[in-house]
Amino acid sequence: MARDRNTHDDFIAPIRRLLVGVGVVLLLGIFLVWRIDSPRVERFRAAVIDRIVPSFDWAMAPVTGAVELVDDFRSYSALSEQNANLRRELQQMKAWKEAALQLEQENARLLELNNVRLDPQLTYITGVVMTDSGSPFRQSVLLNVGHRDGIVDGWPAMDGIGLVGRISGVGRSTSRVILLTDTSSRIPVTIQPSGQKAILAGDNTLNPPLEFLENADAVRPGDRVVSSGDGGVFPADLLIGQVALGSDRRLRVRLAADYGRLEFLRILRAHAHEDISDPGGLLIPEETLIGPLLPQSAQVGSDG
Amino acid sequence: MAESPAARIWIGRAVFLALATAVIFIQLLPLDTAPPSWAAPDLLLAISLAWVARRPEFLPFIVVFAVFLLTDLLFQRPPGLWAALVVVLTETVRSRSRGLRNVPLALEWGTVAFGIVAITLVNRLVLAIMLTPQAPLTLTLIQMVMTIMIYPVVVLVAQVLFGLTRPAPGQVDSLGHRL
Repeated sequence: MARDRNTHDDFIAPIRRLLVGVGVVLLLGIFLVWRIDSPRVERFRAAVIDRIVPSFDWAMAPVTGAVELVDDFRSYSALSEQNANLRRELQQMKAWKEAALQLEQENARLLELNNVRLDPQLTYITGVVMTDSGSPFRQSVLLNVGHRDGIVDGWPAMDGIGLVGRISGVGRSTSRVILLTDTSSRIPVTIQPSGQKAILAGDNTLNPPLEFLENADAVRPGDRVVSSGDGGVFPADLLIGQVALGSDRRLRVRLAADYGRLEFLRILRAHAHEDISDPGGLLIPEETLIGPLLPQSAQVGSDG
Repeated sequence: MAESPAARIWIGRAVFLALATAVIFIQLLPLDTAPPSWAAPDLLLAISLAWVARRPEFLPFIVVFAVFLLTDLLFQRPPGLWAALVVVLTETVRSRSRGLRNVPLALEWGTVAFGIVAITLVNRLVLAIMLTPQAPLTLTLIQMVMTIMIYPVVVLVAQVLFGLTRPAPGQVDSLGHRL
């Protein structure tokens, strides 16, 4: 280089280069460790987010509120039209409500008669969405409830209507919900009324496709999609959405939850399925050894 | 300028940190949780490259390291890889920044664009080799092109609003060293 360097620069440059080298190696090391032992690094990530994001919260809430206010204001222009629509829908809903009430009473009577015990009601914790993933490639949101509130990894999250995602990563006061639309989300589902099982695989679009469907002919657009509870991932029968035929001729799911605006999410307290592992001691004697039986003479000898 | 050059360096660093905080903050806002059909430019990368190409002393290595590692963690990216690639890219641009001083903007833009394309491809390649789940290719390419397109805008805005000019020939810092 043409410029005259003084000794100060010559002394600094190699150290600087070394520092940069160490930095890059350190970063690549973090990446490798993440790839090898993902849970530990993800826990670290949750802890970092837990420290940093709540300190943004005071500013985030008003800004989000202000932007949504503008959005709402835009929708006021369509208010009268919306009002008429709502009134019409309300009329239909009243009829449905009547029907539902009658059915519920009838159902309760029948259950009582048969002495049936269904799943206990799921209880839930409600959390507020603090941030989204901040990247167009990942679909997740951060909630303001965490370990402190008893949140456990894997619990399902719903908005008022449908399933939204599952808890993946719990910090002390925050937890992350991986949405059904994320590329890493795979949920076992049942399609009603045909009872077909499938996997709902997120692919970063609003309508995730159904995969591993046994018989696609038995499924029609408009069928209800609910969680199946297979593999103990989720409680069964949580509403997910409706089947729809995508423009690429694949069966996709139109999600029931309102993904455009997730504000409050319910985290269901899903308890693990109890496995029945032992065969029941009274009915079958416990087998101790597999092999030939003891000869008759030896058994008699030991008895006597 | 009324401030001494040393103060200018610290102001430049503070402006970068403030901008980085603002960008992270805005990206984290939960405004639209539906998956997008297009990807916004990686503004943080464009800002860092503009800073390091024009005034490398405003953006020390350790700041790049810290900011990008933090965003890796916050934005749910595989931690470390993107930060390492950005550090390598900024250091490369930094070592060329003296030469970039006298060239037209188009050439500077070309250099930066080449760097962005290179680290995007390396990133995808490494993730593919490591069998990590990846974002759709189209989204990545859209983001890459958008980042390249936004670069001159960032340079212009930085120059007008924050006075991020290239050092003039013969300009000296507070100790009399040539920049």
